[in-house]
Amino acid sequence: MKRKLAAAIVIAGMMVSVSACGGDDGKDTGKNAGPDSFKGQTLTVWTMDGSAPPQWSKDVQAAFEKKTGAKLKFEIQKWDGIQQKITTALSESNPPDVLEVGNTQTPAYAATGGLAELSDLKQEIGTDWTPSVSQSSVYDGKQYAAPWYFANRVVIYNKKIWAKAGIKDTPKTRDEFFKDLDTIGKKTDAEPLYMPGQNWYFFDGLTIGQGADLVKKDGDKYVSNLSDPKVAAAMEIYKKYASYSKAPKDKDEATPQQAQVFAKGKSGAFIGMGWEAGTAVQANKAIEKDLGYFTIPGATADKPEGVFLGGSNLAVAQGSKKQALAKEFLKIALSDQYEGELAKLNGVIPNKQALETNLKGNAVAEAAAPGASAGGTTPLIPEWAAVENTPNPIKSYMTSVLNGKSPADAAKQVEAEINKRLAQQN
Amino acid sequence: MSVQTEGTDTAGEPAVRKARIPGPPGSEDRGSGSPSRRGAAAPYLLLLPALLATLILLGWPLVKNGMLSFQNLNPRQLIQHLTEWNGGDNYKEVLSGSDFWHVVERSVVFTAVNVVLIMLLGTLIGLLLARLGKKMRLLLLLGLVLAWAMPVIAATTVYQWLFAQRFGVVNWVLDKLGWHSMADYNWFGSQFSTFSVITLLIVWQSIPFVAINLYAATTTIPRELYEAASLDGAGAWKSFTSVTFPFLRPFLYATTFLEVIWVFKAFPQIFAINEGGPDHLTETLPIYAFVEGVGNQHFGVGAAISFLTVLVLLVITSYYLRMVLKQEEDEL
Amino acid sequence: MKRSVFGRIWPNATAVILFVGFVFPVYWMFATAFKPTGDIISENPVWFPTNLTVGHFSKAVDADHFWTLVLNSVTVTVSAVLLSLVIALFAAFALARMRFRGRRGFIVTFMLAQMAPWEVMVIAIYMLVRDNDMLDSLVPLTVFYAIMVLPLTILTLRGYVAAVPKELEESAMVDGCTRTQAFIKVIFPLLAPGLMATSLFGFITAWNEFPLVLILNKDIEKQTLPLWLSQFQTAFGDDWGATMAASSLFALPILILFIFLQRKAVSGLTDGAVKG
Repeated sequence: MKRKLAAAIVIAGMMVSVSACGGDDGKDTGKNAGPDSFKGQTLTVWTMDGSAPPQWSKDVQAAFEKKTGAKLKFEIQKWDGIQQKITTALSESNPPDVLEVGNTQTPAYAATGGLAELSDLKQEIGTDWTPSVSQSSVYDGKQYAAPWYFANRVVIYNKKIWAKAGIKDTPKTRDEFFKDLDTIGKKTDAEPLYMPGQNWYFFDGLTIGQGADLVKKDGDKYVSNLSDPKVAAAMEIYKKYASYSKAPKDKDEATPQQAQVFAKGKSGAFIGMGWEAGTAVQANKAIEKDLGYFTIPGATADKPEGVFLGGSNLAVAQGSKKQALAKEFLKIALSDQYEGELAKLNGVIPNKQALETNLKGNAVAEAAAPGASAGGTTPLIPEWAAVENTPNPIKSYMTSVLNGKSPADAAKQVEAEINKRLAQQN
Repeated sequence: MSVQTEGTDTAGEPAVRKARIPGPPGSEDRGSGSPSRRGAAAPYLLLLPALLATLILLGWPLVKNGMLSFQNLNPRQLIQHLTEWNGGDNYKEVLSGSDFWHVVERSVVFTAVNVVLIMLLGTLIGLLLARLGKKMRLLLLLGLVLAWAMPVIAATTVYQWLFAQRFGVVNWVLDKLGWHSMADYNWFGSQFSTFSVITLLIVWQSIPFVAINLYAATTTIPRELYEAASLDGAGAWKSFTSVTFPFLRPFLYATTFLEVIWVFKAFPQIFAINEGGPDHLTETLPIYAFVEGVGNQHFGVGAAISFLTVLVLLVITSYYLRMVLKQEEDEL
Repeated sequence: MKRSVFGRIWPNATAVILFVGFVFPVYWMFATAFKPTGDIISENPVWFPTNLTVGHFSKAVDADHFWTLVLNSVTVTVSAVLLSLVIALFAAFALARMRFRGRRGFIVTFMLAQMAPWEVMVIAIYMLVRDNDMLDSLVPLTVFYAIMVLPLTILTLRGYVAAVPKELEESAMVDGCTRTQAFIKVIFPLLAPGLMATSLFGFITAWNEFPLVLILNKDIEKQTLPLWLSQFQTAFGDDWGATMAASSLFALPILILFIFLQRKAVSGLTDGAVKG
């Protein structure tokens, strides 16, 4: 009831501001706006640190400026305090026109009314967007962002250690993987796997693999579903993985950076994003030749493990006075040419299946791609974003289980906090 | 504040004397009123800039913050510039939960422990400084000043590194000292150990202020007082209790007051070390307000908590504030 | 009364131990910053780095707009400190030297102002600044930093003003100075060390401020160094070498300033006491 009312207010608010924009700046709304009408304008685009390779930004900028005659300014944002930054920026009279928003954050921002609706754009350029990656941009049946790129975790392993343990092939099933880790533990003095207690997105992938949902509906609101046996089953798998590691049980993969620990050459493998291989090489050049990758194996050989499909969407700020120009930008940036270039340069999964050919020859991306088909996200509801705020109660849950609590008891301990966060009004 | 005070107050003398001394020509011009009235306006004029600045730059945000605490203010309202009054709902939400009272209790204990440690060790080190020879004193002063000057953000980072689980130098030393279970100890895994690190950090950074200022204060104690004391046959301890301590008492009061405020409000230290974790267990009031308000983007509730935080701080410091209000002479 | 050998040794021994304790974290920051990564992530700590590298520093300075941020930080910090010193000096003089109705009320007001929870008022401040179209500017930062340190500056300066013997001022006035002249010629020079000491607090507060600049100034051209340091930390996680190099760079100006000003301030204070 309240949500519907809220949505109605959002829509009403948007209609007002859209028409206000039209009145302010008539020439900007023209559909077939040619280069001249945009002259002298500057479009500001916020991308996150590491998202857009410099070459890509340069190419897109050149194409954009040539086509529209307007200027394009990329502003690279750091992750620190990004939520406050985006929320406050969207409230300003002069917000960034286009911004990168994490896929799991998109529903929450869509619900605030801060993002412009892009359903028309989807009709125009997005009919063949991969449904699973486009889904996060849909709120209340409307498109509020455009899928940009995605990535999922793979196993990054140390070939030298695996060879020393006498293992020839990479595992095809979870049990084979565990057997290999056992072998490494027995035959070498290396830590078989580096797995800290709070690699929560890996755990999310496991719940997706188990077909578990982290939230369920209770009447008209969402509540925690952490005590579901399927979630417990996923946690048991995680516990088994963690048993191969000496890593801290109450830290996530960034403290310390797991790639840096791995770079010392004393861990058999870790589960991480493709770019983390680069972090490892940066810490220790010698590790480069020993790096290998494979898809996280699932219960059976024909279906890889579920993975969290992290990624980013591009959204247009509702308060931007350059709506048409922003859409022009999206059309160029997301065109097959530049979307393909991004996939190629960064080894990320593009928004269309047809473009995945660009990943050929990229070992990491080739290992990641099969997993993506079994990928999922966190619950795509606006209320979810609050759950992941620091301190993330699910991380506490993971630590408790690893420290010996039963999954049911550990779930009980944090469910009140999760429900409280899910109940927060928007 | 009575008339009598003004008359007998020694500090008032210059103002009285002023009547006899020709004032600057500028002030003579507008001096249609009596000289004393001119003198009476002077302190207010001198205070005006400070008061105006405080009123505008502190008072205004405080009022705004107070207003926000009665609103339902989340990202949606902030982005769309909506004002949704919700009466005392935010306060009701905060005060009815058990979290808030736990945090208050924790903040008070945390503040007490830190302030006691700071004042005790700071005083001892300050007295040590007074006792040292010139060279050793300079050496220790240098150490103190370096610790004092470390910017909080840098210091916090350094402490995280010192206490890092892997490759942290503290764990290595404890291990070598025979405490082998500490070799891979995770300092940020439990409430007590996290608070220990935070306390060490805060005490390390705060002692220099107390010690150096206390040392400076002891150098202003007139020699004659000690001479008189020793003529009376007072030993070291006696001359400390009868001369040094009474002389330093106002200074100690004032410093304790400041340290209470600083420790209670300590924010970057606690937040950067472990973000109030593990499991919210090291959240003090300012952290709690920040996590609930800014972190969870529940700004109205955050504003309510911050208002309550000020109230708690007022209660804690009320003793000293009352003392200042009642006192005849100055503290600092 | 002769002191025993023990009695002479223990203060010095304690002083040395304390010195090591206080200096070690600072030393370890610089030492780590200069060590190659292999020596940082090492099972046995390298206490005295021998093969030094500046690689971590170049990584730290390499950040976009590093020098703009340095300039902004210096501008904002220095302006805020000067602004608060000037305002505080007037107020401190009134509070220390004059008697008037409501004087203690004013003192308590500034003590109360000292308690303001700035970190959690950021949203309120943000909304005020936003609604006055002052975002992405160094001006709001400067004035808010000035007001953050103003109360303590007033209270401390009041002590220094009060410590200047009244007789000096009086005799100057007897010699024919006006009160203003007496202040400028006699009190102000004696106050200089106090002003320096007081400014230290302002410097360190303004130099460190982080939550406010994070949401007020999103334009990188208008940001300050604490943002750079904390973002650097997030970006490089446990790259302790680079993080310590960044921390060292951040801390260095304040360390130098402190050593320079603090010695002056303390010695000025004690000299004053001896001469007075």
